[in-house]
Amino acid sequence: MKRRILRTGAVIATLGMGVTMLAACTAASEDDPSKPTAITMLVLGDKPSNGRLEAMLDKLNANLKKQVNATLDLYYVEWADWQTQYNVQLLSGDDNVDLITTATDWLFGWENAQKGAFLPLSEDMLKENAPKTWAQVDAAGDWELTKLDGEIQFIPEDNYTQYTNHGFFYRGDWAEEAGFPGGEITKFEDFTKYFQWVKDNKPDAYPWDAASGASNDAVLTGYLQGHTDQMTLQGVSAGNYFPYTTSESDPGTVTSWLMEGDELLGAAELAKEWNKIGVWREDSLNYDGDTREEFYSGLSGADQHHTQTFLTQIVDNMNKKQPGSNPKMFYWGEENGNLYKDIKTHGAMAVSANSKHPEKALQVYDLIRNDKTDYDLLNFGIEGTDYVMQDGKLGFPEGYDPSKDALGSNFWGGRMDEYEPLKVSDAPNLKDVYADLDKVARDYPYSTLIIDKSSIDPTLAAMGAVLSEYIPQLNYGKFDDPAKAIAEMRQKLKDAGYDEVRESLQADIDEWAKDHPLK
Amino acid sequence: MSLTQTPRRRKSVWGQVKSSRMLILMCVPALAFFIVFNYAPLPGIWIAFTDFNYRDGIFGSPFVGLKNFQFLIKSGMLWDLTRNTILYNIAFIVLGNILQIAIAIMFNEVRLKFFKKITQGIMFLPYFISVVLIGVIAFNLLNYDTGALNTLIKQTGGDPLKIYSMAGLWPLIIIIIHLWQSTGYGSIVYFAAIMGIDKGLFEAAEIDGASAWQRIRFVILPSLKPTFIILFLFSLGGIMSGNFGLFWNLIGNNATLFSTTDIIETSVYRMVMSQNNFTTSTAVGLYQSLFGFAIVMTANWLVRRMNKDYALF
Repeated sequence: MKRRILRTGAVIATLGMGVTMLAACTAASEDDPSKPTAITMLVLGDKPSNGRLEAMLDKLNANLKKQVNATLDLYYVEWADWQTQYNVQLLSGDDNVDLITTATDWLFGWENAQKGAFLPLSEDMLKENAPKTWAQVDAAGDWELTKLDGEIQFIPEDNYTQYTNHGFFYRGDWAEEAGFPGGEITKFEDFTKYFQWVKDNKPDAYPWDAASGASNDAVLTGYLQGHTDQMTLQGVSAGNYFPYTTSESDPGTVTSWLMEGDELLGAAELAKEWNKIGVWREDSLNYDGDTREEFYSGLSGADQHHTQTFLTQIVDNMNKKQPGSNPKMFYWGEENGNLYKDIKTHGAMAVSANSKHPEKALQVYDLIRNDKTDYDLLNFGIEGTDYVMQDGKLGFPEGYDPSKDALGSNFWGGRMDEYEPLKVSDAPNLKDVYADLDKVARDYPYSTLIIDKSSIDPTLAAMGAVLSEYIPQLNYGKFDDPAKAIAEMRQKLKDAGYDEVRESLQADIDEWAKDHPLK
Repeated sequence: MSLTQTPRRRKSVWGQVKSSRMLILMCVPALAFFIVFNYAPLPGIWIAFTDFNYRDGIFGSPFVGLKNFQFLIKSGMLWDLTRNTILYNIAFIVLGNILQIAIAIMFNEVRLKFFKKITQGIMFLPYFISVVLIGVIAFNLLNYDTGALNTLIKQTGGDPLKIYSMAGLWPLIIIIIHLWQSTGYGSIVYFAAIMGIDKGLFEAAEIDGASAWQRIRFVILPSLKPTFIILFLFSLGGIMSGNFGLFWNLIGNNATLFSTTDIIETSVYRMVMSQNNFTTSTAVGLYQSLFGFAIVMTANWLVRRMNKDYALF
C-alpha cells in the first residue's frame, strides 16, 4: 500500500513535467540506422520470472533485428491493482512505452482514446508500416470499429475467436446423481436442486464455494440474462458494475434491469434461498480463497467464469484431478438464447501518443501479428522447451508445469485464428462448442458507439458507491427482505442521478443510430 | 533570551547561512523529501476541479468547478463517511492515549530491569505485524463456517454467531485490534517523557511521604500534560485519515458492514480500484484534507486560548 502511494505520488509529481513534455512531443524519428530501435509493448499480467520469456525474446529479437532493425521488450502492468496501475501508467505520459494493449470493453479503450493517450493512426502510416495488418482489417471492414472522430485509435484483434461469456462450471457426475439426465442442467433455477444435492451428499464440499471479489454479481447477472432479453451496455461502468442495458425487442432504448421489472427481485429471492441452503460460505463476502483450486480438489460443486476458461483449462484440469467428474458448463442466458459474441475490440493494440518511434512500433506489430515464426515465438515460446507439436496439436514437453513454466507473454492485441493450433489441454470439442455458440450468439450492436462520459462520470461514481453496497448483499442473499432492499437501492440510485445518466446515454444512442440503423 | 546577554551585531543573511552550513546541509534530504512528495504534487489538486484529459493535461483540461464533488452528496455517502472516520479516530485517540499513559506509568513502576525489557518487547511486537496478517487471523478466528470461535461455540452446544454480518459489533472489534496493535509502540513517547522528569521532584515527593498513587497523581501526570497535548494535536491532524490497511484487511468488500465501518479512505480506494476516475477521488482526498486542516486549526486555536505554551503554533 505504502509503495503504491509513493509510486502514485511520484507519478503525480512528475505529471507537471510529463504534461508539458506531452505537448512538445512530436513523433520525431531519431533513429540511428545502424542501431536497432527498441520497442516496448505494455501488456497485462504478472511478469514471469522463470527466464523463459527472456530466452524467447532473445530469439524473437534476433529475427526482428534482421527484419526491421528493431527489438521488442515487454512492460508488465501486474494484476495487483491493475485497473489503477494501468490508468496511472497512461496518465503519467511515460514515453518509454510504444505499444499499448487496450480493449473497449474492459481496458478503458474509448476513455483513454478520448483523453488523448493514443496516437491516431493515419491510413498512410498503417499501409506503409503495417501493410498486412492494414489489408486484413480493411478486408474485414473493421477499421470502422476503432475510429474516434474519424481517426483510427487502435488496431482490433478482429481475427481471433473467443467466447468470454460467463456461466457455471459444474460436475456432470454429481448432476447425474442429483437426477439430471446425462448430467445436463439447462435452467438457472435448476441449480437449486443440484446445490441441495451436493449439500446433502458431499459433506466436505460447498455446493458453490464463491469468494468475494469482482464477480459479486454472478447470481443476479446469471438469472437476469436468462429471464430477460436485455443486454449490458458496455463501457458505462459504475464502479465494478454495468447498470445500463438495452433489450433485443427494443434495442434503441436505454434501460436497466436493476431498475425496471420484477426480475431482479426473482434473482435476489433465489440468492436468498441459496444462502439459506448454504450454497456458499456464510462469510463469502470476506472469503478470498482460491475457489478454482477448491473445485479442482473436489471441495466445491461449482465455479463460474468464461467459456474460454472452461474449454482451455477447466475441462483438462478436472479430467486430470477429478477423473470421471464429467465437467460441464451452463452459460448465462442458455435457457433463452440471450447471448452475445465477444466484440472485435475485446483485444486491441494502440500506439502510445508519446511513442518516439511510432512507425517502427507498427512495423514490429505487423510482424508479431502476421509473421508466423515471430507469432509462434511470442505466443508459444521456443519449440522443444516451451511447447511441442503432437499430431498437429500444441502440447508441452515432459515435466512441463503450466503454473511454473508458463511463458506469460500475454499478447492480447492481435492474435490470429489461422496461427492458433488446438492445444492438447483444450477441450476436444472446443471447435464444436464455438460452432454451437455461433449459431445462438448475436453480434453486439453498439460496437462503434462511443459514449461521452465526461458529463456523467461523477454521477456514475455516485451510483457505483450505491451499487457496491447493495449488489453484493443481494447477490449472496444477505437481506432478510430483498424487496425492501431493492426499493431502497432503486431510490438511492435515482437520488444519485440514474435518470440523468440514462437520458445522456439515450441521447448518445439516438445520435449514433442516425448513421447506424438498429435492426 | 537572557536579559544579561549583550546585544550582538546582526549577521548578514549570507553570514548566517555560512555559519550554519552544516545544519542546512543536514536539512537538505528532509527538505527534498517534503518538496518532492508533499509540495510538488500540490498543484495536482487542480485535477479535482477539471474534466481531465491527457491531451490538455491538468491545467489545460476544462474547468468544471465543484462538479466532481457533487457525487459525494448525491450518493448519500458524505455524512456516513465523515461520521465514521471522525468517531473511529476519536476513539483511537482518546482510548489510545489513556492506555499509552497507563502503560508508560506501569513500566516506570516496574523495578526489575529484566522483566521490564521483556514486557516492553512483547507490547511492542503487535506494531510490527502486517495488517494483512491481522485480517487473515481475524477471519480465521471469527468466520461462521470454520472459525475458531464458532467451532468452540458449536462444541459447547451453542449457536454459532454470524459475526461478519453484525455491523454493530465491528466498531468494537476494530478499536480493540487497533489498540492492541498500537498501544505498546505509542507508550514509548510517554515513557521517555517520564524518564525526563526531574528526579528531584520524585525525591521531594518521597520525603513528603507521597504514596505511589500520589506520586503518579501529582508528579507524573502533570508533567505529561505538554506531551499529551502535543501528541493529541498531532493525532488530530490525521483525524480524517484512518488506519486504512487495518480497515481494508478486516472488512474488504463486505458491504453488510459498510454502515459502521466504511471510512473515507476505504471508500476512495474502492472507487479508484473499480473506476477509472482520478478526478472524483482527488475531490474526496481534497475534502478529507481541508476538513482535517479545519479541525487542526480549531483545536490549536482552542488550546492557545487555554494555555499559549501548549499550542503547536
